[in-house]
Amino acid sequence: MSWLDSRRPRYDAADKVTGKLLYPSDRTMDGALWVEVVRAAHPHALIRNIDTSRAEAAAGVVRVLTAKDVPGLNAFGIQVQDQPVLCHDRVRYQGDAVALVGAESRRAAREAARLVEIDYQVLEPLTDPERAMAADAPALHPGGNILHQGHFSKGDIEEGFGKSAVIVEDVYQVPMIDHAFLETEAGLSYYDGEVLVVESCGQYVFRDQTQIARSLGLPLDKVRVTAPFVGGAFGGKDEITVQIHLALMTYHTKRPARMVATRAESIVSHTKRHAARMYYKTGASRSGKLLAVQARFVSDTGAYASLGGPVLNLMMEHAAGPYLVPHFQVDAYAVYTNNGFAGAFRGFGCTQACLAMESQMERLARALRIDPLRFRQMNVLHQGDLAALGYPMKLEVGAEATIRSARRSKLWRNRRALRQPPASYGPSRRRYIRRGVGAASQMQGLGLGIGIPDYAEVEIELAPGPRATIKAGTTEIGQGAYHAYILEAAERLGLEPGQIRVVGADTGRTPDSGTTTASRTTYAVGNAILLAAGRLEQELGRRAARRLGWPAGAGKLRDGGFTGSGGWVALDELLAGQRVSARATFHVPVQDVEMGDGLPHLLYSYGTHVALVEVNTLTGEIRVVRLEAHLDGGQVISRTGFEGQSEGGIAQGIGYALFEEVRLDRGRFVDTNFDKYVLPTSLDVPVDMRTVPVMVRDSTGPFGAKGISETCMVGPTPAILNAIEDAIGVRFTRLPVRAEDVLQALREKEKKDEG
Amino acid sequence: MKVDVQLTINGQPAQFRVEPTERLVDTLRERAGLTGTKEGCGVGECGACSVLLDGKLVSSCLVLTVAAHGCRVDTVEGLARDGRLNDLQRAFIEEGAVQCGYCTPGMLMAAEYLLGRYARPTTEQIRQAISGNLCRCTGYRKIVSAIRKTARQRAARRTGR
Ligand code: FES
Ligand code: FES
Repeated sequence: MSWLDSRRPRYDAADKVTGKLLYPSDRTMDGALWVEVVRAAHPHALIRNIDTSRAEAAAGVVRVLTAKDVPGLNAFGIQVQDQPVLCHDRVRYQGDAVALVGAESRRAAREAARLVEIDYQVLEPLTDPERAMAADAPALHPGGNILHQGHFSKGDIEEGFGKSAVIVEDVYQVPMIDHAFLETEAGLSYYDGEVLVVESCGQYVFRDQTQIARSLGLPLDKVRVTAPFVGGAFGGKDEITVQIHLALMTYHTKRPARMVATRAESIVSHTKRHAARMYYKTGASRSGKLLAVQARFVSDTGAYASLGGPVLNLMMEHAAGPYLVPHFQVDAYAVYTNNGFAGAFRGFGCTQACLAMESQMERLARALRIDPLRFRQMNVLHQGDLAALGYPMKLEVGAEATIRSARRSKLWRNRRALRQPPASYGPSRRRYIRRGVGAASQMQGLGLGIGIPDYAEVEIELAPGPRATIKAGTTEIGQGAYHAYILEAAERLGLEPGQIRVVGADTGRTPDSGTTTASRTTYAVGNAILLAAGRLEQELGRRAARRLGWPAGAGKLRDGGFTGSGGWVALDELLAGQRVSARATFHVPVQDVEMGDGLPHLLYSYGTHVALVEVNTLTGEIRVVRLEAHLDGGQVISRTGFEGQSEGGIAQGIGYALFEEVRLDRGRFVDTNFDKYVLPTSLDVPVDMRTVPVMVRDSTGPFGAKGISETCMVGPTPAILNAIEDAIGVRFTRLPVRAEDVLQALREKEKKDEG
Repeated sequence: MKVDVQLTINGQPAQFRVEPTERLVDTLRERAGLTGTKEGCGVGECGACSVLLDGKLVSSCLVLTVAAHGCRVDTVEGLARDGRLNDLQRAFIEEGAVQCGYCTPGMLMAAEYLLGRYARPTTEQIRQAISGNLCRCTGYRKIVSAIRKTARQRAARRTGR
């Protein structure tokens, strides 16, 4: 039987429903110190003096650490190390760490943290990226305030607009938003002999190990980092959070140390989705051919680099969506400000660009009076076509298949009838309820892109039973990757999933399987599993020759045994009480043109979302009634996991469209908990969600699989905005769209219609 | 000044000496070692810390331990009996209602509370009942299905079918 596309429940759920599973925030040890971070009192200031004497004298305090206690490089950052572990001369955002207090209890640590006296010279915060770009703006970093910029053009943009029968031009604004993983940043550190161990919550333990060792001035083999199971991440735990601070406290005190961020601390301190201003101009011919796309992006990357550069690159790469466009121009800037700091977040730049581009596509279709999905289909990219940035789409392109699937759905075919409020509403309510249907299509680069090392190494061990252990260095952040690895391995090794287990994310025990990001793990680790299985088969072939006298040659693992030149033999018999293991590394294939860090990709996943929304024109309230996702992630490995990702992505897309915004006032965070930072609840997300797998198998994927963990979150937001326009004839260009925005827009529309 | 507090946690009597300001969530997690109860916000907005206090659903981040003196506290660790998962836990697993799982213990307690009051909750009642429990991973649909499934199973058992 095949384990692909199965609804088998994931194995790690049992320890989660009983409360047995230990998350980073649950880990503790006898004698562990609590570590409290003293963070900047101002979003932008110079530090004149730090006095820790009162804090050191406080009851229960064991150690207070400042910049001078960082033995190695006092800086970190995935790409550019521009963020201090502990600031000594300047703070650039409200979450900047200045000192660490280690104390016997959390309370003692917190109270002492208030006693650290920092003398600041307050500076004016830079809060508008377009102003921060100006030549005369004060520089936040030695290289100036533009972290990264990109410019690209193809064809002749003016000619494209000249030929266009319709042109749509607008500015789209998206806010900074928070990942709001339910478990805040947390971890435990301790010495195991000579080795400093950090059990933490990051998305790439091997990179965390490097960053910790570099800041502590230790050799890599003296630092071990683990992060098998984590309570959500979505990109927000990709950058360093607690890891170096924990390690530093243990290094100086030789004692175990714990940290669990409060929600307020979490929101203030970790990376965010980039707020951006996106200037778009798009033109199409009368017959509905997309002729020109011009985009200008200014993204607010906040105080430090993190992945701000690559996020901007992906915005450029996806600026024109999954469409063929002869004339294209993009200019993009990621700019330092004192507004928190931005980095990786599910969707990684595509989210922003897609919101703008799919709004533009909808408006062009309306202006041309063409069915909006047909308009997309008329312009969609196919395998072999040149993408907007001019490189060829070499692999299978599932974009059109997702559009076809969406066009076939009842929701799309019946959209005119569905615009009518249901009869059950009664005549008076029907008068002020408006419904609309909208769609959006997108593609999303998979993997890290060219120029960034992107590989996965795994080890598989076969043992009597038979049992198999997969050792993989990625983190289970909730997405279900370990479960996918088990299904992939079961399919390939001819074992039952119940016979396979995963040892994950431990620099001391697992190989380096790369980052837990970029929709890559099912694909990259899955491919490495297939390679390792091939090596196991060679080794088993040799054993069969030695032990059973079979003619030499490889065979196949099948049905709990090994099939080769001599027939089938049970694995247990062949193993004869011994273990066999094999390692293999898969290198994610890349384009042969390199246009920048991670730019472009070879592999993409695709999706088309359709939303039915209802707008209450009396209260301005918007309700998403139904949402459908038509997703191409190639061959589905776990159907339950596939749907789970999609449904969670829809919920996040609803949040982005209607609720979420991290507001800042002159660089200070206004909303620092879930009372004011509003997340979608069970009442805001429709039960009526449908996820349709459109399996365009990828020739490079394990069993043809790719990943959809980001694509699934990108499309819902523009689909909702397009549905709102369908319902009330108002185009929103700024997120989130709240009830008060709807009421105001309706009032303005009324005035205009009257005038 | 510390105070003696007696609780009955998942049917077992327990005693603690706590500061008067200590929160129930901390007593459970840090003193009783019951880390199944999670903290997501600390201000009563996320439901990750939900437990039953004398049968009532509460956010244990908002309850002072001293105020729970003499009360029954039921946490996620008490749902399974003798290592056997209860029907609701099984339904969560089977329906794919668990991803990162950090919201799961609170969701389970909110669902048990609902199922204790309504034998046949409607989908709307289920959505209402868990609307104080945030989940960032699942989009809630599979959680609602798991609760609906359990309600049906329990109703069928009661009517002997
Ligand atoms: S931690 Fe208690 S409600 Fe969030
Ligand atoms: S499963 Fe992750 S928060 Fe609900």
